[in-house]
Amino acid sequence: MSQLSLKHLEKSFGDTQIIKGIDLEVSQGEFVVFVGPSGCGKSTLLRMIAGLEDITSGDIVIGDKVVNDLPPVKRGIAMVFQSYALYPHMTVFENIAFPLRVERLPNDQVKERVGRAAKVLQLDARLEQRPGTLSGGQRQRVAIGRAIVRQPQIFLFDEPLSNLDAALRSEMRIELMELHKKLGSTMIYVTHDQVEAMTMADKIVVMNAGLIEQIGSPLELYHKPDNKFVASFIGSPKMNFIQGNATTSDGTNVTIDLGALGTIALPRATKRVAGDTVTLGIRPEHLVLGKSDFTLTVTPKIVEHLGIHTVLYADLPGGETFIALFEGDPKIEEGAPLEIGFKLSSAHLFDTAGLAVY
Amino acid sequence: MTSTRNATLFALALLAPALLYIIGIVAYPLVDTINLSFTNAALKKTYEFVGWANYEKIFKNNFNEVIVRTFVWTFFSVSIKMVVGTFGAVLLNAAVPGRALFRILTMPPWVVPMAIGIFMWGWMYNGQFGMISGLLQNFGIVDGPIAWLAYGNTAFWATIVTDVWIGVPLVTIYLLAAMQSIPRDLYEAAWTDGAGRFYRFRRITFPMIIPALVTMSLLSLIATFNSFDIIWILTRGGPSGSTTTMIIDTYKTAIGSYKYGEGAARAVMICIFLSLFCLAYFRVVGKINTGEKA
Repeated sequence: MSQLSLKHLEKSFGDTQIIKGIDLEVSQGEFVVFVGPSGCGKSTLLRMIAGLEDITSGDIVIGDKVVNDLPPVKRGIAMVFQSYALYPHMTVFENIAFPLRVERLPNDQVKERVGRAAKVLQLDARLEQRPGTLSGGQRQRVAIGRAIVRQPQIFLFDEPLSNLDAALRSEMRIELMELHKKLGSTMIYVTHDQVEAMTMADKIVVMNAGLIEQIGSPLELYHKPDNKFVASFIGSPKMNFIQGNATTSDGTNVTIDLGALGTIALPRATKRVAGDTVTLGIRPEHLVLGKSDFTLTVTPKIVEHLGIHTVLYADLPGGETFIALFEGDPKIEEGAPLEIGFKLSSAHLFDTAGLAVY
Repeated sequence: MTSTRNATLFALALLAPALLYIIGIVAYPLVDTINLSFTNAALKKTYEFVGWANYEKIFKNNFNEVIVRTFVWTFFSVSIKMVVGTFGAVLLNAAVPGRALFRILTMPPWVVPMAIGIFMWGWMYNGQFGMISGLLQNFGIVDGPIAWLAYGNTAFWATIVTDVWIGVPLVTIYLLAAMQSIPRDLYEAAWTDGAGRFYRFRRITFPMIIPALVTMSLLSLIATFNSFDIIWILTRGGPSGSTTTMIIDTYKTAIGSYKYGEGAARAVMICIFLSLFCLAYFRVVGKINTGEKA
C-alpha cells in the first residue's frame, strides 16, 4: 500500500509555476531520492510535502488522509534541513528533545527517547555539548536525532550532506543507509548529487523544470533512461551524444548517418524515426580500446590517469566533446589518434524530441 | 641599540596625534576635575586645597537622595525602553504586510532634533494648552486641567516617558537587527516540530537575543544615567528637586551656583559610577565575544 501519494501537485509563486503537475506514489519503507539540477523544484516539492509551502493545486495524501491543509506537526513527518537548523544556545540533549518538549512529554519519557536516539546515532557522549563544539558530521547526526525522536511515518531530508566535505559525505551516506535499514521507515531525500541518488535510493525521481522526467530504480535509470535528460543526468562521466540522420527505420533496424564518423545500424523495432534527426548515446564506460561492433577514430586532447581508471577527452568532427573511460592504465598518449569502439547493444538512441527509442 | 631607539621614537611619533588628543580632551580635564574637587574653587580669584571637605559636604547634604533618585529614574527609564523596544522589535520582525512602512515610522523620535522633541513634550504636558490633559478631560477621565510638570510625582514620570520616547527607536532597531540575524531555518524546524508562535519566541528568539539585550541595556544605562537635556528643558530638576538627578545637581552646583569645587566633587562621583557601568559593559561584551568563538 502506498504511504504517500502526490496527486497532480502544482505550485506557483506569483505568475511563475515552479511545480507543474507531479504524480508520485511512495510505499512504506521505501528510500526515495528526488534528484535534479538546481532550480528544478525538488526542494520546493519536499517543503510542500513537509507543509512548509502551501500547495497551489493537487493533493498530498499521507496514509489515507489528505494533508493539504494540515500543519507539519500533524502530517506525521519529520524534516532534516540542509543547514541542520540546530539551536545554538541549547545542548545536544535539548536540541534532540525539542519536539518532545513541544509535546510536553514527561521528563522521564523525554530522557528515555533522547537516550535511545543518541545511542543509535552514537551521540551518547556528546549530549551535554553545544552544537558549536561539534564537527559537521556530528551536527548532522543531532539533526537526524531530532527527527528520530518524533517517530515519524516519513523522514524528509533536504540536501543533508551538501555542507560536508567529500570524505565525510560518503561516510554519512553509509550511516544514513544503515539507519534506514535499522528504522525501516519511509525516507524521502533531496539531492542534486546523482552519486548520492544512485547509491542510496530504492527509487529515484529525476526532476527537471518542475516536472518528473522519470521514476525508477537506479539501474533502470542507468540502463533504460526514458530520455536524453535522464541519460545525461545519471552516470558520471556524462553519456556521449552524437547527432545523426536516421536514413532508414524499417521495423528491425534504424540506420543512422553520423557524417564523418560513418554509418551505424542499430537494432530497433520502430519505423517512426525514418528521415528524422536523431541522437546516438554511448556511455564513456561502455567504450573499449580497439575495434568493436562500431569503431571510430579519435585524437585524445587530454588524458587523466586515475590509476583505477583512465579518462580520455577528445573532440569529434561535429565539435562535441567525447569522453571515454577505460579500466586500469592503458597506454594512451595525448595527440596520438587511436581507435575506440562499442557494442551496438550498449548504444542508446533518442528521437528528435529527445525521447529514447528502444 | 640606535635602530631600536629610532623605532621607539618612530612609534611614538605615530602615536603622538592620538595621545595629544586623549591628553587634551580626556586626561587633562579629568585630572583637573579631580584636582578641583579637593579645592574650594568658586568665583573668587584664588582657591585653596580643602582635602575631603567637598565630599563630606555633599554626603552630609541631600546628595544620597539625589543618587538614589538618579538610580530609580535610570532604572525605570532603561527597563521601560528595553521592554517597549523588545515588543516593538517583535512586531516589526513579524511577517506582516507593510512592515517596511512601520519600520520607517519608528524613526521620528530619533530623527527629530532632541531639543525640538523635548519642547514638543513640554507643550503636551502643559495643563492649560497641553494635548494630554485636554484629551483626558474630553474623555471625562479627569475633571480639570492637570499640569503634569507642576507636581513632583507626575514630573518625575513625565521626564521618564519623554526619555523613553527618545530612546526606544535605537533599542528597537538594535534588537530587530539581532532578531533578523537568527536563521529562518530554526523557526521552520521548530514549526515542523509543532512549536507555536509564543513557544518559538520563548525558546528560540528570546535566548538568542539575550547578548544583544544585555549589551543594549548597558549602553542605554550609560546614556540614560547621564541624560541631561530632557530633564533640563522640561523641569530644570524641579519642582522642588523632584527630577534632580546627579548630572542636573552637578550642573546646578557648578555652573548655576558657581561652586566649582563642590561641583567637581559631584562630577567625580558620576565618573566613578559610569566607570563601573563601562567596566561591566566591557566584561559582558568580552564574554559574549569569547562565547561566540567557542
